[in-house]
Amino acid sequence: MKFSRKTLGIPYGVFLTLFVVAPMIVLFYYAFTNGQGVFTLRNLTDFFTDPNTLGTLFYSLAIALTTTVVCLLIAYPVAYILATSKLKAKSVIIMIFVTPMWINFSLRITALKEILTLIEGNLAYYPFLNSVLGMTYDFLPFMILPIYNTIVKLDHSLTEAARDLGANERGAFLKVTVPLSLPGVVSGISMVFLPAMTNYVVLDMLYNSTYIMGSLIGSYFAAYNWHGGSMIALVLLGIICVFTLLTDSGEDDARTGGALL
Amino acid sequence: MKKLRFASAVLLAVLLTAVFCPFFPASADEETVTLRICNWEEYIDLGGWEDDEVIDLESGDIFGENSLVEDFEIWYEENYGKKVKVEYSTFGTNEDLYNMLTIGDVYDLVCPSEYMIMKLMAEDMVQPLSEAFFDEEDENNYYIRGVSPYIRSIFENHEINGVSWDKCAAGYMWGITGFVYNPEVVSEEDASTWQLMQNSDYKRQITMKDNVRDTYFAAVGALKSDLLTSEEFTGADDYALRLQDEMNDVTEETVARVQDYLQDTKDNLYSFETDSGKADMITGKVVANYQWSGDAVYTMDQAEEDDYTLNFAVPKESTNIYFDGWIMLKAGIAQDPAKQQAAEAFINFISMPESVIRNMYYIGYTSAISGGEDERIFEYLDWNYGAEEDVAEDEEEVEEPDNEEDVVEENEEGAEEEEATVEYDLSYFFLGMGEHSEDYVLTVPAEQLNRQLSAQYPSEEVIRRASIMVYFDADQSEIINRMWIRVRCFNILDVPIWLWITLGVLIAGGVVFYFRRKAAKEKMYS
Repeated sequence: MKFSRKTLGIPYGVFLTLFVVAPMIVLFYYAFTNGQGVFTLRNLTDFFTDPNTLGTLFYSLAIALTTTVVCLLIAYPVAYILATSKLKAKSVIIMIFVTPMWINFSLRITALKEILTLIEGNLAYYPFLNSVLGMTYDFLPFMILPIYNTIVKLDHSLTEAARDLGANERGAFLKVTVPLSLPGVVSGISMVFLPAMTNYVVLDMLYNSTYIMGSLIGSYFAAYNWHGGSMIALVLLGIICVFTLLTDSGEDDARTGGALL
Repeated sequence: MKKLRFASAVLLAVLLTAVFCPFFPASADEETVTLRICNWEEYIDLGGWEDDEVIDLESGDIFGENSLVEDFEIWYEENYGKKVKVEYSTFGTNEDLYNMLTIGDVYDLVCPSEYMIMKLMAEDMVQPLSEAFFDEEDENNYYIRGVSPYIRSIFENHEINGVSWDKCAAGYMWGITGFVYNPEVVSEEDASTWQLMQNSDYKRQITMKDNVRDTYFAAVGALKSDLLTSEEFTGADDYALRLQDEMNDVTEETVARVQDYLQDTKDNLYSFETDSGKADMITGKVVANYQWSGDAVYTMDQAEEDDYTLNFAVPKESTNIYFDGWIMLKAGIAQDPAKQQAAEAFINFISMPESVIRNMYYIGYTSAISGGEDERIFEYLDWNYGAEEDVAEDEEEVEEPDNEEDVVEENEEGAEEEEATVEYDLSYFFLGMGEHSEDYVLTVPAEQLNRQLSAQYPSEEVIRRASIMVYFDADQSEIINRMWIRVRCFNILDVPIWLWITLGVLIAGGVVFYFRRKAAKEKMYS
């Protein structure tokens, strides 16, 4: 029996229509209508004029940005050391970094809660710090893996060439390795930054009572305001799209630029 | 809007049926009635008790072997000669349930709280209970024969759009709100007021409920504390009515004051919690937790297992009395008499004294059923709380009650002895408000005045200051929901100027750097 490309695509096509396209249509519908089902831009203007939604956006960005930077600062050196080391058990060590992902997420955060309580005493005094720690704990493997994968596949001869042409070790690292590993960094960032903006479960579990985007949407739905909630989800989607476009172009830039420099 | 919701639901339903139908052939057995029940999570006895958990009342043992749902299916077939299949599912919050119903989920019997019952009644989604259900002659009508006179009068005396609750809803569980607290840290006096949430002696050590209704009510009570506790107010003839009005005040001015109050409160709290409060109380992360009485009982039970004592205090201002009740939905019943009969039979089954006791033992909440002529529910209370059986054995140090004056049912002589006992009058629940009978007075260890009993069955004095929280219409709900979002959100106007300047400099720096690099690159290749 021979499958054509079309037949092979059917399962995902069905999945896509049912669970991605259809809900998106509903989302758009709610975002641009009011309670009477009439088209309106009110939800959109509400979003950008309410100091609370903007404040939540700001707060979410702050948490997501800090988390991403912390993850990057921890992940890059680890990934670099691992990828360039002569260790035979490299893949085993990378496994160790990934293992936490196999343990249930809420269990991990509960454990973190106890550890942080031991260290800090009363968690309630450091809501921002705890949220960032929780997210870092949760998302770190997503940053390490792509960076590791890029560095490990780097053409070693390029670094050698740089050294041959007179670059010292630091120069070769900064001008060759770093630019060439940027694609990994970019995909790591997008895998950490975007979820960190909405993962309110971490905040809830670590007692941060300030809303981020995810919890704000939830609160709109709990108040039966499906229209406002959908609009927030849509704005978030817009931000993510812009972000992805920017990083994509950045990635191209990094690729070509890195190779040429 | 409703049309589209319906249309999209139908579309989804059709598609899903098309996809999954071949795998699940529908049963062709027409004799079996299918009953779709949706209840709160962990709100029914699921059976599987340990052997030593048997409740050995004098009138016979009560033991939860199978879940009540399974037992109902057997009971129904034995009594009515027909088969019933229960599809049992659960919901997390009243709002979730409402959203599930609007999306198009269909249930026959659901168990929301009183304000949601009122909302659903107001939207004409509820199927009224049949006349047969209220027939006290029928032996199988355990609900109407056994419902507490106190609960019954509340259900009869509250209405929405001219229809009283009891026409549509059958009480299941009820309770009040109050603070579970650690008596070693928090004094009873401090814990007995809603102002506890702003008490800076316990800064960052108190949790409140993460939902707007409970928190709003508490904040209103705290703000109006002086008025609500003044003798002039509590002594008024129309005290109950005025109390309800004051506690359900949603005027613009009050909402604004509540917002300020809660914004200050937020900085004094450990957190607003949805479910972690119980565990945090037991592990000692917090010293007080605003809680529903059923969960308070559970928390105190758990703490006792760890040899750790927690108390319960009801705010002196008032308390929120709530009811969860069974209602049938028009969309589910769809005029099918067989289905309605099965749904009402379920309510009756769950109201049988034996089911009631199993439920209360299992989930810690308080049933709306007092048992009528059947004495077993009072017997169970005596078994559970009575002084003779189980005082002393696990309580070496019996604490003296802190303020004896406050306790109406105080037994003066008993309080002096080491194993102090007090009399606890529950006539109001078994006979109706204002009634008193020696038959319904429990003799309990004095400490129970601050423990599980005071939460599970509040004293008549507490009940007198309890107020329900009414159903707010769409506009009022909108106002308090907005208020809540403002309390919880970070306000962009709070971002300090220096941060804006730093951000501006960083972004400008980034842009300049990017273009200079680009220019440098172009120069290099040209």
